[in-house]
Amino acid sequence: MADTHCPYCALQCGMSLAPVPGAGGVAAAASSVSMPDAAAARRRLPLAVTPREFPTNRGGLCQKGWTSAAVLTTPDRLTTPLIRRGGELTPASWDEALDLIAGKLGELRDEHGPGSVAVFGGGGLTNEKAYALGKFARTVLRTPNIDYNGRFCMSSAAAAANRSLGADRGLPFPLPDLGGADVVVLLGSNVAETMPPAVQHLQGAREAGQRDEGGLVVVDPRSSATAKLTDDGAGVHLQPVPGTDMVVLLGLLHVVLAEGLADRAYLAERVTGFDDVARSVAAWWPERAEIVSGVPAGELRRVARKLAAASPARGGRGAYVLTGRGVEQSSQGTATVTAAINLALALGLVGREGSGYGAITGQGNGQGGREHGQKSDQLPGYRKIDDPAAREYVAGVWGVDPGSIPGPGKPAVQLLRSLGTADGPRALLVHGSNLLVSAPNSDSVAERLRALELLVVCDFVPSETARIADVVLPVTQWAEEEGTMTSLEGRVIRRRRAADAPGEARSELWILAELARRLGTAGELEPGSVTFSTDPSEVFDELALASKGGIADYSGLTHARLDKDEAENGPGYFWPVPATPAGEHVIPSDETATTNPDDMVAWQSHPGTPRMFVGGFPTPDGRARMVVVDHAGPADDLRPGAPVYLVTGRVLQHYQSGAQTHRVAELERLVPEPYVELHPVLGVRVGVPDGARARLTTSRGVVEARARWTDAVRPDTVFMPFHWSGTGSVNRVTTDATDPVSGMPEFKVCAVDVAPVPEPALVTTGTPSESAPTLEETPA
Amino acid sequence: MNLRVPTRIVVIGFGMVGGRFVDDLMRRDTDHDFDVTVLGAEPYEPYNRVLLSDVVAGRTDVAAINMPLPDLDRVDLRRGVGAVSIDRAARVVVADDGSRHPYDHLVLATGSEARIPPIPGLSRETGTGLPAGVHALRTLDDAREIVAATVNTPRAVVVGGGVLGVEAAVGLAARGLDVTIVDGGPSLMARQLDGPAGEVLAASLAAHGVAVRTGVLPSEMLVAGGRIVGVRLGDDDVVAAGLVVLSTGVVPRAAIARDAGLTTDRGIVVGHDLRSPDDELVYAIGDCAEPPEGSRGLVAEGWDQARRLAERFADQAAARAAAVRREPEEITGGYKEHLRIPHAGEGPSMAVRLGTLMGSQAVTRTPSDQGIETRGTDVVKVKAGDISVVSMGAAGLGRGTRPGERSVHLSDPAAGRWIEAVVSDGVLVGATCVGDARVAADLTAAYTRRTPVPADPAFLLLTPVMPTAAAVDSPEHMPDDAVVCRCNGVTKGEIAGCCAAGKDTLEQIAAETRATTGCGSCKEAVCGIAAWARSSRPAGAEETQQVPA
Repeated sequence: MADTHCPYCALQCGMSLAPVPGAGGVAAAASSVSMPDAAAARRRLPLAVTPREFPTNRGGLCQKGWTSAAVLTTPDRLTTPLIRRGGELTPASWDEALDLIAGKLGELRDEHGPGSVAVFGGGGLTNEKAYALGKFARTVLRTPNIDYNGRFCMSSAAAAANRSLGADRGLPFPLPDLGGADVVVLLGSNVAETMPPAVQHLQGAREAGQRDEGGLVVVDPRSSATAKLTDDGAGVHLQPVPGTDMVVLLGLLHVVLAEGLADRAYLAERVTGFDDVARSVAAWWPERAEIVSGVPAGELRRVARKLAAASPARGGRGAYVLTGRGVEQSSQGTATVTAAINLALALGLVGREGSGYGAITGQGNGQGGREHGQKSDQLPGYRKIDDPAAREYVAGVWGVDPGSIPGPGKPAVQLLRSLGTADGPRALLVHGSNLLVSAPNSDSVAERLRALELLVVCDFVPSETARIADVVLPVTQWAEEEGTMTSLEGRVIRRRRAADAPGEARSELWILAELARRLGTAGELEPGSVTFSTDPSEVFDELALASKGGIADYSGLTHARLDKDEAENGPGYFWPVPATPAGEHVIPSDETATTNPDDMVAWQSHPGTPRMFVGGFPTPDGRARMVVVDHAGPADDLRPGAPVYLVTGRVLQHYQSGAQTHRVAELERLVPEPYVELHPVLGVRVGVPDGARARLTTSRGVVEARARWTDAVRPDTVFMPFHWSGTGSVNRVTTDATDPVSGMPEFKVCAVDVAPVPEPALVTTGTPSESAPTLEETPA
Repeated sequence: MNLRVPTRIVVIGFGMVGGRFVDDLMRRDTDHDFDVTVLGAEPYEPYNRVLLSDVVAGRTDVAAINMPLPDLDRVDLRRGVGAVSIDRAARVVVADDGSRHPYDHLVLATGSEARIPPIPGLSRETGTGLPAGVHALRTLDDAREIVAATVNTPRAVVVGGGVLGVEAAVGLAARGLDVTIVDGGPSLMARQLDGPAGEVLAASLAAHGVAVRTGVLPSEMLVAGGRIVGVRLGDDDVVAAGLVVLSTGVVPRAAIARDAGLTTDRGIVVGHDLRSPDDELVYAIGDCAEPPEGSRGLVAEGWDQARRLAERFADQAAARAAAVRREPEEITGGYKEHLRIPHAGEGPSMAVRLGTLMGSQAVTRTPSDQGIETRGTDVVKVKAGDISVVSMGAAGLGRGTRPGERSVHLSDPAAGRWIEAVVSDGVLVGATCVGDARVAADLTAAYTRRTPVPADPAFLLLTPVMPTAAAVDSPEHMPDDAVVCRCNGVTKGEIAGCCAAGKDTLEQIAAETRATTGCGSCKEAVCGIAAWARSSRPAGAEETQQVPA
């Protein structure tokens, strides 16, 4: 049995995996609990999931978590490297595949320079893999062109938090802290679908609402499952026109200032930039905010007063302002998050126990994935790649000349756009990402991928992107590997192996080491000074060292320390956890210290940082910054020919591109195909009856799906979930306009035309799951 | 490395629109193409004039209405310095402190002043010649004096029942005064509202302590000892009042333009391009301007003009720069690429769009044969606490329905509600909404964004919801396919089936169906179903299958 965490979202629910009693090749379930048999037991599939007490999920699991082990036994699991020969992906040996890749990459590097090879990572990779991938790109490939799908998730929140607060840890406080607050504001976050067990932590605010002492506030153009949690007096749902969430925030701050509700003492002591921001929101009186956002002025006033009443300065039990992808995946995402932070700062919420601002991280390791160097502008420890001191330090850890580390590369959308162009990368390595489904304007992404000379995809199932690759490398998945993840609250947790990988599937750590061996590390200080360990625990130690002194400092942690804390039911570790000599921090004495090497334990005394900013902000002057921002509206706004907003999102049963969840029969049965939610008033107007097929058209593409009439959407807005490929793949029509600061694409709002599909639909959509898996290319 | 000679721009007026123009221009002026001088006659920091009625109402902290200051390193701001004359031949503005300001382009944003009606008792020799207790509501000083006056008198009269008058009256009533609005028109807000809508509003005001006298003009201000004591109405009624607020419209400040030989009518006449027909170097924006489409005196219009003019200047500068530079615009290879210029087809970059800022980008404005698209700038939303009044576009004004238009309305005076929607070519072209904030917000969104209106426009009059069965709380009436546990997609039927099979404790149900094992918020509902299943079991297990309602 292995105590690990769910493979899906950033809530990282605790679960245990054990062989299903009576199933699999080895009998006697009772024997599997005894240590000697544990290794043998690991090999046995299928595995059963048991929920485990853990602070984020408190023993709860959603349907995805319960059924997660099914992905381990999916019949189309990749078990051998595949090389495209004569148009077909055919099985190959590891040596063949790696030699081919290394040969081609070396060739391109020699002919066109290191920038001709690009790497695309993922927010689902373990910390160790994310670290190794960044190091591989900078020391072996020496390319600046690495970025990852977290650019599509957390980049706006990250950019804003770094700018305003000096550090970006999604939730800079433990998730259960939410439960004690009177008000929780969720902007563009649908946790009831995306991380259902997290709803437990909203109960406190909902009960406060029912006592009329606060409430849950949900800002969402849709009456989502989360918005419905505000029913029955539990809170308030504000339903702005898509793309105008920021106006809601500006209007709220206006009311806070106009009614004298700000925390003046806190502002004077802990914040800079207040005066300019105050002046800028003088232009957003609630009635004007209503005209732009469609949220009645009275509701803005009501919510602002609720928030203020809950703030510590006014004697409340606390308030939180939280953002999600709904407001961040916007061409003004960074600005919108900044407006949320400004509001939280004005009320004196940030850096106070029981109140705060946070971003709700999406992907499983969306937090850790943005800290260890797979971002285009970043080195491990959340360091900046253009900071000479950071380069110097990390180069020392890596064993290379600082000058050999490339500079910042292009962020994801720009990187994808440049693929296969005259000056762009000619080869791409993809790790933990299904670009064909998850990138915006995906038809044009497909075109760029096809223009490459070499596309290598590491995956454990034949994802849509894998199916068009030149080389596919089979990798381990969650229950087959060791490592660490960092949850949405910055808690570093262990992922543990419960089963052996099938066939020849290998960890990315091994693949990167093998490629490094073949390609060499030209920047190394002396022969052999750059190493790529394949042991996750060793990689973690190196990652920890590389992060030392950075914003996200893991240097006081090891796998062993994490294991020990968990075994003792300890409080867990939230970064930063710097390596600190014993005695500098008051912590419980370590009775088992003698069993560990003294020198290691001596530097592992820091208790971690559950609550950041309490003592100050990691900015040069220790103060938070309020930054003036303003509303500009969506890049692709309504116009003749595209008179309806499209917003996109998720359903409970599926995760991201669906590469995993479409392969789980129980999930697929409940939500088998994509759909379009539209209001009956719009349905009648455009001639799309409930249940009929609707066609959405933009200048970028066309998408079709079955219509579901519902009054949960505004009559000016349609909604589509994004988990599918094919004709129902909504990212074929979304815009790839990006935020100027973060590079985040504007997934969440664009303008479409809505019409009925003229004739009965011929094509069924979605990823084949129960049908026989195939490896041929998806139809163009 | 800008070797170009900067363009000198002089702005006369540092009010809501002049300030906004400077702000808009500076945001676009990344290459320091402009030398900007601003002459502002008021000595104060720039403030939001729209919020003066909120100051009167006590709804806002006075400090919170201050507007952004320009970057004083880049803008030569002369506060407390008024312009006296324009020498167009010499291209120089002369100020009241004797300073002279040469310009390449001159922007007039002189605004407007309160119109003082010709009523006996109101002397107009000097600007401050009103009797004590009589105030316009145009400046911060006016607002402060009105607030001060509320302490000394229990009764106020507001002359003029337009938007500002209604806002001021409600604000004064909120301070506990007995307030009477006097308006010579047939009904309140006659510029925006049809008679019936105005009557509904009047009734709502009455409920808030505001009496309304329409169709009658004040015939005399009754003054005793230099202080107002009451207002005589045309019909000889006298309304006692220690405070009178005049909200009888505004007069554009056009004298300086008129004296310089520029065409003025009500205001300074300009074309769609905001330029004077007499001088291609002179522009006028905001309340002082009189563009071909007319001026309603709404700040959104002025801000829209400010944005358009700033864009025009920036475009001209960019064109000049492009002619000089002769180098490719695209910056490649650098990590800052995404901070700079978007690739083709990406749409306008934030750097470009930042400038549009407050003028909601959501509103498409394209020059057309009819002139400038003003949709979205002509939404009038009254700031009157919980009294909701919105008017937009082609509605009200007693106008009849034009060919091709459909007009629907809902009249519900007893509930304080009156709504009209005018539809043409499948989009909303005008609306009035009194007494329903939710519908008002929806109408505004539909109007400003030209979204497709319902096939039957009558749906615009309500918040359209799906017909749904009444919320079901009792397990008995809940349909079998109702999802009880969202986290795990467990239906009532599955839970009932589990109970029927004899597993009816919470633990057993959780183990069998996974209900309650996600966020746990369905526990109560599951227990309810289990209890119902137990109680209905005696007759046999089969009848637990309920026919869905």
